[in-house]
Amino acid sequence: MKIHTSLLLAVMSSVMLTACSTSVERLDASEQVDLSGAWNDTDSQLVAEEMIQDSLSRPWITKFVTSEGKDPAVIVGRIKNLSHEHINTNTFVANMERELINSGEVQFVASASSRQEIRDERADQDLNASEVTRKEAGQEYGADFMMQGQINTIVDVDGTTQVRFYQVNLELISLKDNRKVWIGEKKIKKLISNSKIRP
Amino acid sequence: MYKLLLVFVFLLSGCAQHSNNRLADDLQFQTPESILSALQETKPDDRDIAQYYLNIGYLQLLSGHFPESIDALLIAKKEMGSLAATSVSENIGAGTVNETLRSYSGYPLDRVMVHNMLALSYLFNQDIGGARVEMLQADVAMKKLFDKDSLSGQLASTHLISGIIYELLDERSNAFISYQLAEEVLNKRHIALPEGLKLGLLRMSLKMGNDQAYDKYSQAYPSLAEHQTAKGQVFVLYFNGVVSNKVQASLTVPSFNGQQLIRIAMPTYPERVPRPVSAQVGDGQQIKNTQVTENINDIAREDLDKEYPSILLLTTTRAIAKYKVVEEAKKKDQLIGTLLNFATLISEVADLRSWNMLPATIQFAYLDTNSDNIVVSPPKTADNSVSLQQGHQHVILATNLSNKILHYQQ
Repeated sequence: MKIHTSLLLAVMSSVMLTACSTSVERLDASEQVDLSGAWNDTDSQLVAEEMIQDSLSRPWITKFVTSEGKDPAVIVGRIKNLSHEHINTNTFVANMERELINSGEVQFVASASSRQEIRDERADQDLNASEVTRKEAGQEYGADFMMQGQINTIVDVDGTTQVRFYQVNLELISLKDNRKVWIGEKKIKKLISNSKIRP
Repeated sequence: MYKLLLVFVFLLSGCAQHSNNRLADDLQFQTPESILSALQETKPDDRDIAQYYLNIGYLQLLSGHFPESIDALLIAKKEMGSLAATSVSENIGAGTVNETLRSYSGYPLDRVMVHNMLALSYLFNQDIGGARVEMLQADVAMKKLFDKDSLSGQLASTHLISGIIYELLDERSNAFISYQLAEEVLNKRHIALPEGLKLGLLRMSLKMGNDQAYDKYSQAYPSLAEHQTAKGQVFVLYFNGVVSNKVQASLTVPSFNGQQLIRIAMPTYPERVPRPVSAQVGDGQQIKNTQVTENINDIAREDLDKEYPSILLLTTTRAIAKYKVVEEAKKKDQLIGTLLNFATLISEVADLRSWNMLPATIQFAYLDTNSDNIVVSPPKTADNSVSLQQGHQHVILATNLSNKILHYQQ
């Protein structure tokens, strides 16, 4: 009887230990994994990719190249999060910057915060770097357009089922005269059903 | 042997409840910081994680530890979300031993109030965008809990805080709608509208150019409609006291044949509740009293009242099940039966868990001022002088539990 009890305890303990251990599986960064239904890396990549492709296929870019004789320089401004979720818009901005740079069709200017760090470095070089390698102030490339936008959501709930509707709006504004040269919109709709029973 | 172990576990779970309730009682007399340290020294049971982090997060907010408060409250919010589904195993435990074997998933009050506390933590942490997100989530949470026959989970303070945040962001129509929703909930609860809320309704309807609404509120509050607006705005939230703890009401009776003792234990709230006391806010020209926007003592009682029939049903069912088990055991061995009866008696404890460190009431006052200084005077604590940047918007959170004043300005 005692042997049976000990055996049972041993089996139960091993089952419990297995259940409690942490498991890690490496995934491809492009693999789509949805756990909670919230905005995730897949949404961020998808929206950035599609919207930048759309913006680069519109006539504003050829008009600018024809009139100015150079590629437009773009800067990504603030993307406001007006959604129901704590979305890290920095990753979304980074995705858009990557798409813009990799397109090869536009010049890209560093953001305000990055520029300040570079200016500090330039000021430091002014004092400490050799004349041959020193970079002068006043040579910055000014952006022609700024991209701004916002992420909005509408959530409809009924019991354990939710429909989440995300709408991302981006616009490209000419820094010279505040003209809006492109407006893009991307919508994502998700149906999320939560279980009513757990173990 | 395993039965003795179970008994030990049950005793421990009762101890954790009592220790937590004692700390909540002590919050009336000790600073939030000292209660926070004492609470952090305890290790919560896995089933009490949500309750533990709700209390920790709230105390961290009052102590001014905003990033930590956000982390703790987010853990509690996530835990409550994951526990929303019914657990089969926990229901079996609750049906055979006691209700504390169920994980604490939060009452409707907790599920909405957590967004209030998170929004305030984000705001005082200089992240108004994060505060706005929480208010949108609170709106979804309230829609989920909506029941046309009750006000369960519908909090006027949440709508009020939403209105303040929207007003700070200059989202006028959103602010107006939130103030209107706060008005609606307060009217349904038969609580007099705070003057600050009336002013908010007038201010937003005027700013939006909604003449119809402005006329309606001007007629309803003629003296306030003539209110001269100064450049600076001060929204004062005041947390008064500590919400009541649940207490256990138990009854032990012999069975009809005198062979066993049968015990039932139910949670209840004490009947006597201290009267809400206001704080005063003044700028040298005017003095305003904070007014009740949310009576958390009442809402906590409503939440328990709503659950009472199911708790009563489960308690009586459990008493019958325990009686049968002891009866069967006694047939086999009298001594084991008696010991088992003893175990069923001491394992029968009521579930006294709740977010028990919340304020008893949330109060509100509003001031238009050109002054560069206001004085906040909670009862029985020293006056607190708060410096204001003239012409700015300010949100101030005061409590009678400490002298700390939390201040956001833009």
